[in-house]
Amino acid sequence: MDIDLSADDLAFEKEVREFLSENAYTHGANPEKWRMKWFEKAKEKGGWDVPKWPAKFGGPGWTPNQHYIWQKETARAGTPWDLPFGLSMLAPVLMAHGSQEQQDRFLPAIRAREVNWCQGYSEPGAGSDLASLKTKAELTEDGKHYVVNGTKIWTTMAHIADWIFCLTRTSDAGIKQEGITFLLFPMKQEGIEVKPIITLGGSHTVNTVFFTDVKVPVENRVGEEGKGWAYAKGLLEHERTGIAGISNSIVALEGLKQRASSVKRGNGSLMDTPSFRSKIAELEIDLMAVEYTELRSLATASAGTAPGPESSILKLKGTEIQQRIQKLTMEAGGEFSAAWGGINSGPEFARAGMGGYMSSRVYTIYGGASEVQKDIITKKVLGIKSTKK
Amino acid sequence: MNFDLTEEQQLVSDSIERFVQDNYNLESRMALVGQGPGFSEAHWKSMSELGWFGLSFSEDDGGFGGNQLDTMILMEHFGKGLVLEPFLASIVLGGGVLKRTGNEAQRKQWLESVIDGSKQLALAYSEADSGYEPHNVAVAGTKTADGFTITGTKCMVQHGGTADALVVSFRTSGGTTDKSGISLALIPADREGVTVQGFLTVDGLQSAEIAFDKVVVSAEDLLGDVDNGFAALNATINDGILAIAAEAVGAMEVLYKDTVAYTQEREQFDHALADFQVLQHRMVEMFMEHEQCKSLLYRATMEVANGGDDAQRNIHALKHLIGKAAFFVGENAVQTHGGMGVTEELRVGHYFKRLLVIEAQFGNTDYHLDQFAA
Ligand SMILES: Cc1cc2nc3c(=O)[nH]c(=O)nc-3n(C[C@H](O)[C@H](O)[C@H](O)COP(=O)(O)OP(=O)(O)OC[C@H]3O[C@@H](n4cnc5c(N)ncnc54)[C@H](O)[C@@H]3O)c2cc1C
Ligand SMILES: Cc1cc2nc3c(=O)[nH]c(=O)nc-3n(C[C@H](O)[C@H](O)[C@H](O)COP(=O)(O)OP(=O)(O)OC[C@H]3O[C@@H](n4cnc5c(N)ncnc54)[C@H](O)[C@@H]3O)c2cc1C
Repeated sequence: MDIDLSADDLAFEKEVREFLSENAYTHGANPEKWRMKWFEKAKEKGGWDVPKWPAKFGGPGWTPNQHYIWQKETARAGTPWDLPFGLSMLAPVLMAHGSQEQQDRFLPAIRAREVNWCQGYSEPGAGSDLASLKTKAELTEDGKHYVVNGTKIWTTMAHIADWIFCLTRTSDAGIKQEGITFLLFPMKQEGIEVKPIITLGGSHTVNTVFFTDVKVPVENRVGEEGKGWAYAKGLLEHERTGIAGISNSIVALEGLKQRASSVKRGNGSLMDTPSFRSKIAELEIDLMAVEYTELRSLATASAGTAPGPESSILKLKGTEIQQRIQKLTMEAGGEFSAAWGGINSGPEFARAGMGGYMSSRVYTIYGGASEVQKDIITKKVLGIKSTKK
Repeated sequence: MNFDLTEEQQLVSDSIERFVQDNYNLESRMALVGQGPGFSEAHWKSMSELGWFGLSFSEDDGGFGGNQLDTMILMEHFGKGLVLEPFLASIVLGGGVLKRTGNEAQRKQWLESVIDGSKQLALAYSEADSGYEPHNVAVAGTKTADGFTITGTKCMVQHGGTADALVVSFRTSGGTTDKSGISLALIPADREGVTVQGFLTVDGLQSAEIAFDKVVVSAEDLLGDVDNGFAALNATINDGILAIAAEAVGAMEVLYKDTVAYTQEREQFDHALADFQVLQHRMVEMFMEHEQCKSLLYRATMEVANGGDDAQRNIHALKHLIGKAAFFVGENAVQTHGGMGVTEELRVGHYFKRLLVIEAQFGNTDYHLDQFAA
């Protein structure tokens, strides 16, 4: 066991820091121009614009240590906004199961951040039980198209997405996991209607999407018909590691401590009050442990392959910690967090209101609810099978 | 020992329950939130006609001679309906200070119209750096020939934007955190130098930030003795805590019951969600938290109403438990509803938001734990 970074790692860390400071956002710059420039520069570094992509597809081919360093440094320095759907969710599926044509056609535009994707999995009747999805895709008689009918729900960013990757049902025979087919199609076309869903913070990120006789060319099918579930499962595992956000939590905790120190309580600050102080300490201890859980998981996962089911613990712990940070931030804002705009007093950070906390509640719901993650660990890791006769 | 309501209380309780059932649903609430005064003037009028505003005032003041128990009954039902009207602000808080401190003339001028609902009060006590301590008062009163002029800003004044008059705490002697040296006054909201900026809180209720710029406070405006306002202020805030705790108990009941109902309807994996034991046990815990809160609510309310020695400790205990349970019940109600739980469409999210604001009002869960332990 050895946790010291090698001389190479330290040199890499230095290089990353230099890159991030050289390309940091400068006040007053056009954010979108800066963003595109940033990715361009990162690409020139040798795939730093797509850190998780394997070298074969233009990624940097980093060691686990290098990934860890990148995560830590970018959490601190910040990176341009990015959506995970194309880059981290669809791309690995295309790399593993897409045809050469599909890879050539879709990956470059994803990498260039030119095309925004959304994820069409969940349906009104198929949430946790995703495999029970019903959106139908029927092959036309000439075998050239699928005709898609049905409803997706909770589709994040469907209202701005150019394309959707979508799980559809092509057969009702056999068990429900069979007969699911993975299709790609443009969002801006006839037969697709997007309706906003407003969530608790008052914001619009998710949607209901209705498909009426949407024609999808067969060449937009990924892999084989009826095998979509297996592809999607790999994808869900990618999604799980992505949302643990541990490096970000470490930075966020530091910020939280600073904020809490600026809040007056009696003659001292909120950080001097016993109850708040011990909650911060408990959080920090959990975070210290989960940071090493992630390192252990990184060390076993060789770059490019899907992380195994043990990565589920990262999502569970990582999201719980993110929620606790949001909750403590709200608590640090005190009663001022209750304001929904229009207030001048109270700590500056409390102006975001309870919104951050409320949005954080979805972390344990999307990408597979925590209870479902625990079911997976029960079966896959603890090896427990139902014995009911 | 007896936890039953009196016949009279039961009648009132039934009538409130019916009123809330008939008049409050998510749709009608959403139509009021953020519009005009942010509540229904018509409901306000009906409430006054039903006599609820006078419940906790003495007969001499034109009330029915009740106490915190009566307010508790009312507020629990209000919590079930997410009632928007400024009962807490005007009757419990504003009226609460007035009934404890007002002289004959002030009571005559104000209490009657507060009880009949034609005038509304708000309590302006909290400040940017109060840190939940009601005795942490920096807004300063400068002595004049006839009284004071006051300068400074009060924050998070619930329903301060629509109040006709404000009950204000300000410092007339001592250091910022001293319990003595705090004075109280009743100031019409339109008095020169008062600037009211109203805003919405996340639960759809109204609050305000109120700036005082050399506002003239004459002897007639002063409530009670100069420098000795803290006891009345604190007692009134304790009433406020009891009231919102009762409201929270009502809201938690809706949340756990909605969750029980939803999990029986929603099917995944060819089962009703309620078939999953982990959810069954969680709902049992939500129910238990609610019952525990109710018990402590009764305990604290009776202790305060009877003027018991342990009243203040009971208040701290109650506000702590309510906050803890509010998080537990609210978070789990949302979690168990899945995606639907985080939408504006279902009512669970709205009850959760109200509970969050209650948690933060009059000192949050941690604050009261520290006070209890101190
Ligand atoms: C903000 C947000 C963004 C989303 N983005 C997308 C997206 O871009 N694309 C997409 O396809 N989907 C998306 N989703 C959908 C998300 O994946 C689903 O909400 C999630 O899978 C849960 O499904 P459900 O909401 O139908 O809840 P349900 O399946 O109805 O479950 C409700 C609750 O019941 C409990 N539960 C469920 N099953 C079990 C079980 N077996 N044992 C014990 N308890 C259980 C859990 O607490 C769960 O939260 C998003 C959701 C949200 C809230
Ligand atoms: C000190 C002591 C004194 C006792 N005295 C008496 C007595 O006077 N008279 C008497 O009749 N019995 C008595 N018992 C027995 C007691 O009632 C049983 O131990 C109890 O019913 C549990 O049964 P078990 O030990 O066979 O555990 P099991 O039924 O084998 O269960 C083991 C554990 O599994 C879990 N579990 C079991 N079923 C479920 C389920 N459906 N869902 C989720 N989790 C579950 C629980 O955590 C449980 O503790 C006593 C036991 C103890 C330890």
